[in-house]
Amino acid sequence: MITRRAAAQVLASASLSAAVLAAVGSATLSPARAEDKTIKVGISLSLTGADAHSANLIANGAILAIEQANAAGVIPGYKVEIMKLDDGTATAGQYDPAQAATNARKMVSDKDVVAAIGPQMSGAGKAMAPILSQGDLATITPSSTNPDITNPKFADQYRPAGKPIYFRTVTTDAFQGPNMANYMAEVLKVKSVYVLDDSGAYGVGLADAFQAQAEKKGIKVMGRDRLDPKAADYTAVLTKIKQLNPDALYYGGVLQAGVKLAKQAYDIVPNMIKAGGDGMYGPELLSAVGYPANEGWYATIASPHLSGSDKVGEFSRLYQSRFGEQPDDYAITAYDAGLVIVDAIKKVAASGKPVTRDAVRDAIQTSKVPTLQGTVSFDANGDLADRTVSIFQIKQDKAAKADDMDKQYRYIAVAPQS
Amino acid sequence: MTNFDLLLQQTINGLSLGAMYALLALGFTLVYGILELINFSHFNVFMVGSFIAMYTLQMFGVSGQNIILTGLPLIGVLLVAFAVTMLGSGMIGVVIERVSLRPLRNIKGPAAMITTIGVSYILFNIVLLTIGADSKNFPNPLPPAQIDIGGAVLRLREVLIWAVSFVLMVGLYYFVQKTKLGKAMRATAQDPEAARMMGVEVDRVIVTAFFLGSALAGAGGMIFGLYYNFTSFIIGFTAGLRAFTAAVLGGIGNVPGAMVGGVIIGLIEAMTGQYPGTAWSDVIIFGILVLVLVFRPAGLFGRLAPNKS
Repeated sequence: MITRRAAAQVLASASLSAAVLAAVGSATLSPARAEDKTIKVGISLSLTGADAHSANLIANGAILAIEQANAAGVIPGYKVEIMKLDDGTATAGQYDPAQAATNARKMVSDKDVVAAIGPQMSGAGKAMAPILSQGDLATITPSSTNPDITNPKFADQYRPAGKPIYFRTVTTDAFQGPNMANYMAEVLKVKSVYVLDDSGAYGVGLADAFQAQAEKKGIKVMGRDRLDPKAADYTAVLTKIKQLNPDALYYGGVLQAGVKLAKQAYDIVPNMIKAGGDGMYGPELLSAVGYPANEGWYATIASPHLSGSDKVGEFSRLYQSRFGEQPDDYAITAYDAGLVIVDAIKKVAASGKPVTRDAVRDAIQTSKVPTLQGTVSFDANGDLADRTVSIFQIKQDKAAKADDMDKQYRYIAVAPQS
Repeated sequence: MTNFDLLLQQTINGLSLGAMYALLALGFTLVYGILELINFSHFNVFMVGSFIAMYTLQMFGVSGQNIILTGLPLIGVLLVAFAVTMLGSGMIGVVIERVSLRPLRNIKGPAAMITTIGVSYILFNIVLLTIGADSKNFPNPLPPAQIDIGGAVLRLREVLIWAVSFVLMVGLYYFVQKTKLGKAMRATAQDPEAARMMGVEVDRVIVTAFFLGSALAGAGGMIFGLYYNFTSFIIGFTAGLRAFTAAVLGGIGNVPGAMVGGVIIGLIEAMTGQYPGTAWSDVIIFGILVLVLVFRPAGLFGRLAPNKS
C-alpha cells in the first residue's frame, strides 16, 4: 500500500513532468516563426430586418474568400480577421443609415482594419462613404447600386478626401433601371407603366432612372407614388393603379415594402406585368410571399448571372458544404470582392511596403483580378468596368423546393443596353 | 372603373382598415378609461397575437394561401384560432398587468407609462430574436370568393373583418353596459375610490380590462394576418400609431369614440392614398388630429374630466 505522502509526491512529480513535457513539446511541435500579423477586414451588412437572409448569403460569400486565403497562406506573414458588423436595426426593420455610419466609424477607428466589404444597401452606403473617405478606408460593395455614391458630380459629398474609396463588384442603377425599361419597351412591348418607390435612397434612385429611360423609349408613365415601408396597407394606391390600368408596374425598392406590395398587388392587379430591381431578387419573395402571389414578377440584378452555372459549380459545392445553402449571385459578387481585397493586400505585402489602408486602397484601384465573374477591374470612380444587368422572372418550378432561388427565379437574359 | 366605382372601392378599403384600427383602439381606450394609463405595450400584444394565430392555423395544417377550407371546417378552424389567439393575448395582458403595472399602481407620475414602453420593447425583441426579422407568410384558409359591385370588388376577407370586428365591438359594448362586471368597470373608470367604497373589487376590474383589451388586440392581430397574408415583428408600430391616433381622435377613454375614430382614420388613409398620394397620408391624418384637438381637446366624443380637487 502506498502511503499518502508517497502518493502525493508521485502525483506532484508527475504533474511537474507533464507540464515540462507540454512546454517543451509545444515549443518543438510548432514551427519556429514570427507571429503572423493580424489585419482586419470589416464586413458591414444588413443582418437584421427584412433583408437579413440575403445579407447572410452575402456575408458567407465574403467570409469564404477570406477563410480560403488564410487557410492557403495566400498572404505570407499576415492573417486576415473578419470584423462582422450589422447595419440593420429592429426599429427600422431593415438597414438603418445611422447604424451604418456608426459601423463605418468603428471600422475607421480600428487601426487594424485595412479594407472593408459592404455595405449591402445604398442608403447605408451614402451614410458610410464620407466617413470611409476621411478614414481613407476602401470598401468594396457586392450589391449597392445607387450611382450617386461614385458619381464625380457628388464627390464633395461622398468622397470629401478626394480619392475613390467606394468600389463595387456590381454595376449601378444608372444601368439597372434603364436597361429594364429597354427590355420592357423592346421585348415586352409595354406601352404604359406606373412607377413606385419605397422612399429609400436605393429605391428612389432606381425608380427615377427607370422612369427617365421609360419616357425616352416612348412608354407612358401614368404616375409615380411612394410606399411607406412600415405601413402594412397598400390597397389604396393599388386601387388607384388598377383604375388607371397601365400595362406594367415597376417597383424601385427593397423587400420590406416589396413583400407587402407583391402580396397585395396579386389580389388587386393580378394580370399586370410587374417588375422590380435587385431589391426584389431575394429568398424572401419566395418564402414570405409564396405562390401564387409572386408568380410572374420580373427582377433584375446588377451583375452577370452565375449562380447555378457550371462555371461556379466548384464554388457552389464548397459554399453549400460550409454554410448549408446555395449561394446567390450577390454571394458570388461578395466572394469576388473578397478575392479582390485579398489580392490587393497580397500585392502590397509582396512589394515590401507596410500594409496600410492607403496602400491597399491604391492596390484595389488598380486591380485586375480573375474572379468568378470574370476579370474584375474598376474605373476611375470605383465602379465596376463591366456593366451587365441580368433579368429574371419568377416561374414556379413545382419539382424544386419553394425557396430555391436558382430554380424559381428563371434567368431570362442580359438586359438590353441603351 | 368609373370614378364612382373607385370611390366605392376606396371606401371598402378604408372601412376594412378602419375596422382593424377600431379594434386596436378599443382595447387601448378601455385601459385608459379605467387606469388613465397609456398602455404602449398594447400594440405589440397585437403583433404577438398575430403570431399566435399564425401558429394555431399552422397546427391545423393550413399553410400559405393554397390550402382552402369551406363551410363547417372553415368556421370551425377560424373559431378555434380566434379563441386560442384571444385567450393567449388576454393572458399576456394579465401577466403584464400583474408583473409590471400592479406594483406601480399607486405611484404618481409617468412611471407606469414608461414601464409599458419597456414591456413593448421586450415583447418586440423577444419575437425578433426567436422568430426572426423576415416577414412571414400568414396561413389563410379563406376561399378567394368575391362579389363585383360595378367595377369595385368586395372580397370575402373584407366581409370577415367587418363581421368579426362588429361582433367583438357589440360584444364589448354589451359587456360594458349590461353585465355586473361591466358596470363595475364603468364605476371604476368614473372614480376608483368611490367604486372601492361601494364594494367594487377594483383589482379584479383592472385585470378584466387588461384581459379584454389584450384579447381584442390579439383578435386584431389575427384579422391583420388574414387580411394581408403576412405578419412580421414590426407590424405593431405602424398599426399602433394609427390606432393610438384613432383612440385620441375619438376621445381617449371613450368606447364608441374609439370605434368611430378608427373608422375615420381608416377612411382618411384610403382616400389620401387615392387622391394626393400615400406620401401625404400621415401629414393629413395628423393634421386632422391636431385640428380636432384644437377645437375639441378631449376628442370627438370625450369629455374633459372635472378637476379632481
